[in-house]
Amino acid sequence: MNDLTLIRKNLFRKKLRAILLTLSILIAFLIFGVLGSFNRVLNAGVELAAADRLITMNNTGFTQSLPYAYWGRVQGVEGVRNASHMSWFGGYYQEPTQVVQAFAVDPETFLAAYPEFLIPDDQRQAFIDQRNCLLIGETLARQYDWSVGDRVPLLSNIWQKTDGTSSWDFEVCAIYAPSMEEMSTAAAYMQYDYYNEALSFNQDRVGMIVLNTVDPAVNDRVANEIDAMFENSPAQTDTSTEAAFSQAFINQIGNIGLILIYVVGAAFGIILLIVGTSLILAISERTKEIAVMKTLGFPAPRIFRMVLIESVMLSLVGGLAGIGLAALLLKGLATALAGTLPGLAVTGGIFGIALAMMIGFGIITGIAPALNAHRVRIVEALGKQ
Amino acid sequence: MFKQTGAISMMNLRSLPQRAGMSLATVLSIALVVAVLLGFLAMADGFQKTVDGTGSEDVAVILRGGSQAELNSVLSADQFRVLETAPGVATDARGDPLISGELYIAVDGIKRDLGTEANLPMRGVGEQAPHLRGQFDLVAGRMFQPGTNEIIVGEAVLRAFVGFELGETIRIGSNEWQVVGLFSTGGTVFESEVWADIGVVQNLYQRGSALQSIRVRLTSADAISDLEAFAEADPRLNELDILNEREFFAGQSRTLNTIIRLVGWPLSIVMAIGAFAGAWNTMYSSVDARMREIATLRAIGFSGGAAAMGTLIEALILSALGGLLGAAAVYLLFNGASASTLGSGFTQVVFSFSVTGGSVMAGMIMAIIIGFLGGLVPAIRSASVPLLTVHRSD
Repeated sequence: MNDLTLIRKNLFRKKLRAILLTLSILIAFLIFGVLGSFNRVLNAGVELAAADRLITMNNTGFTQSLPYAYWGRVQGVEGVRNASHMSWFGGYYQEPTQVVQAFAVDPETFLAAYPEFLIPDDQRQAFIDQRNCLLIGETLARQYDWSVGDRVPLLSNIWQKTDGTSSWDFEVCAIYAPSMEEMSTAAAYMQYDYYNEALSFNQDRVGMIVLNTVDPAVNDRVANEIDAMFENSPAQTDTSTEAAFSQAFINQIGNIGLILIYVVGAAFGIILLIVGTSLILAISERTKEIAVMKTLGFPAPRIFRMVLIESVMLSLVGGLAGIGLAALLLKGLATALAGTLPGLAVTGGIFGIALAMMIGFGIITGIAPALNAHRVRIVEALGKQ
Repeated sequence: MFKQTGAISMMNLRSLPQRAGMSLATVLSIALVVAVLLGFLAMADGFQKTVDGTGSEDVAVILRGGSQAELNSVLSADQFRVLETAPGVATDARGDPLISGELYIAVDGIKRDLGTEANLPMRGVGEQAPHLRGQFDLVAGRMFQPGTNEIIVGEAVLRAFVGFELGETIRIGSNEWQVVGLFSTGGTVFESEVWADIGVVQNLYQRGSALQSIRVRLTSADAISDLEAFAEADPRLNELDILNEREFFAGQSRTLNTIIRLVGWPLSIVMAIGAFAGAWNTMYSSVDARMREIATLRAIGFSGGAAAMGTLIEALILSALGGLLGAAAVYLLFNGASASTLGSGFTQVVFSFSVTGGSVMAGMIMAIIIGFLGGLVPAIRSASVPLLTVHRSD
């Protein structure tokens, strides 16, 4: 019988206790796994942001637009490789509740700015050539069962056409796939010219300008140069990296990061209390036995080690089960939430953090009982009662 | 039986200090579960209170048909002039109609908590605007002078954003504004706004004479049908949406509220399972430690039922203590704490966490259920302690 067998037998000697402790550890790691993954997907916009992409918007706020002419002017700034623009359409399909995230864009520069959109070559060309073309994402296509060739009217809750209606007719002529799991494919894109021509107000304005620089190293200089260029004009600009823009957008919802830290902290606080006190009790019940082992010649450091390994093992059993359960749960949720939070899964990174936490947690809860076991004095322990 | 139960319960409770570590762990873990639940509920309730409290029955909001939100709407000065004389619109003492044409612009402000930019609603309003908000009160300073770069600031804006103190000059976009007043509207959404003169806002943001929304005070809540009939008959107005202001706001808190509750409940229930395992473990150890004592009591005539009840009551008292502790902690730390999130108008709504009696009840019930389930099996076990355990040597 080696040490490990002994440790295993010790761990499960009181089956009910072992099961209950495993269950509470499992819960904490389940919560960590699920919330950690949600947090990662929520912040995916920041991670996915291309390092060389900049966003220029009206410095009053992102609901204010910019003059169309700005697009041409920023193209001349040294270090700008590609410039495109996007305008929020405020779209919906049939009912106001069926929101479609739609943007009016300049097709050619847009596709150059976002190489992560995977589109078959002929469809890519159709989006550039065909005036009433609508480029849609896979998720959106699935949601309304749209396919290439379908005629789709989209309504806008902001814009009006000169004919008094708010409905633009489109033909779905291109569908894009994601090149990364976390990329959303729930949006639709239309030709700016087709949208702009019909507008009854706010004509020749763009929502924001998207730029690609020749090298991320020139980002700061380009951003400063652009903002300086429009400093004395009625629409001043604010240029930031795409990552900073995404982060600012998430922060608008609230301090989600802090809420997650509170919740995960509470979950681990609970098991730290429960497991910590239970292990101290479990070892103190075994005082006599440990004294016997010491009498038989087991050195104190070996006993110390055995108790510590026992607590780490307990933590690993519960923790791995919890992370496993989280992975299963997210697998189920991933399909349902593909539209809003694509790429929901326990990734290697989260698993790595969880594994480190399991070992750390095992050591923290095991250290006090292990020290107690280390300190057991044969004479006192065997003389008890 | 009652006497026996009482005696055993008292004995258990008095001996709690001997099992202080695990008992305390149970109390604290249940407190954490209840705190998480109450934290989420306080967030949902606080947001709902702010949004639902906004809007009054006898104010009508007029928007362009199909625009759904003020931010998307466009109305003309002509439409405003026609509505001034519409039936159902109340007048003030001087006989002027209580009507305000407004322009709503999302501008960038710096949030205090994160130090990042967030959308702040700036509202250009007419001089009657204060009379169209029920509890409008100028807390400090004065009203802005029409035609100047002066603003008055809602109390919630001051709480959540940097730089809006009375007397400060603040730069928003390309323009500088002077803060001359601080207003309160009794905790409604309007307190999250900055108000300026409509003419100045139209001018600075190149809106010509366009408006986004028109608010009118109605002579009575029912007068909205007169207004609707009037608008229907006039070709200049028949594309408009005329909404009761209360209903206009009532729908807006629903989505976020549902999301917060949908996250909060499952999360705390899952955590409760963890705490339940802990409570069970604690009670199990408690019975274990008292084996001889229980056997002795049984030997001198106490019933098994009384021993079981004693254990169960111990568990219930521990969990109730945990629940109270959790509720008290959330109340002290979070009640009234200010938070803000993105509201329906693409701008920040500032609200306060609100710990309600109903959610405290829900938390206590959850704590008691954890205690009951956690104590149940150990209680049954303590009822069936064999009498011979009296002689057990350790």
